[in-house]
Amino acid sequence: MSSDPTIVTKEAPEPRGPYVHARQHGGLVYVTAQIGRDPKTGDFVVGGFEAEFQQAIDNLEAILKAAGSSLAHVVKAQIEFVDERDLDAMNRIYGERFHDPLPARTSFGVAFLWKGAQVQIDCIAALDG
Amino acid sequence: MSSHRGVVSLRGPQPTGSYTHAHVQGRMVWVTAQAGRDPGNGELVPGGMEGQLSRAIDNLEAILEDCDSSLDRVITTQIMYTDPADADTIDAVCATRFRPPLPVRTTWGVKFLAAEPGREVVRVQIDCVAETR
Repeated sequence: MSSDPTIVTKEAPEPRGPYVHARQHGGLVYVTAQIGRDPKTGDFVVGGFEAEFQQAIDNLEAILKAAGSSLAHVVKAQIEFVDERDLDAMNRIYGERFHDPLPARTSFGVAFLWKGAQVQIDCIAALDG
Repeated sequence: MSSHRGVVSLRGPQPTGSYTHAHVQGRMVWVTAQAGRDPGNGELVPGGMEGQLSRAIDNLEAILEDCDSSLDRVITTQIMYTDPADADTIDAVCATRFRPPLPVRTTWGVKFLAAEPGREVVRVQIDCVAETR
């Protein structure tokens, strides 16, 4: 471990526990699951599932940028959400934010997420260049 | 040593299905999710979330060591748990075990975890991907 492989950026909500926003390893960047928290206040955004998911992807994007990558470089995404009725909204928003070449994706419904979050998304991405 | 191998450690609870404790590929190791089971008798340890998660991380650590890795080489972790009230305890326990450079993390709540129904309640499990030395 020569240089620090960890990334924490002010452009995403501060990690609320013993973990970092992202880590680089072997030409890839691994990103911690992001929820719909405002980076400035740390509070959940208002507006329900759609607003939370948009903010979560904004946070992911900010972290990827800080790590030298981008949404366009995502190899694999994983999404957890609480209410099956949000499936269509999830797919629509995801389709607006991710473009060809689309990443592989796993999404599933969960019993609950941290402090009542409705959705979260993590990813593994290639480093730019 | 092949660069591609499955590993079963004597220091982790023995796998109860068709999986190994870990799989090593090149300089990366993928570790099977660990619950708070005693490696000796496979029984769930007492102590609720705190006891179970501490033991699960002990198991992860022992398996990593046998794969020529360690907790401080963990890149990503996934934690699944059954009770939303345990969220803060997870952070507290992890904070005593993981040191910088810290891993990335994804956690979520599940309906249940693998257990003997009616006899025990598995509250948490944790897996990881790490680099080897």
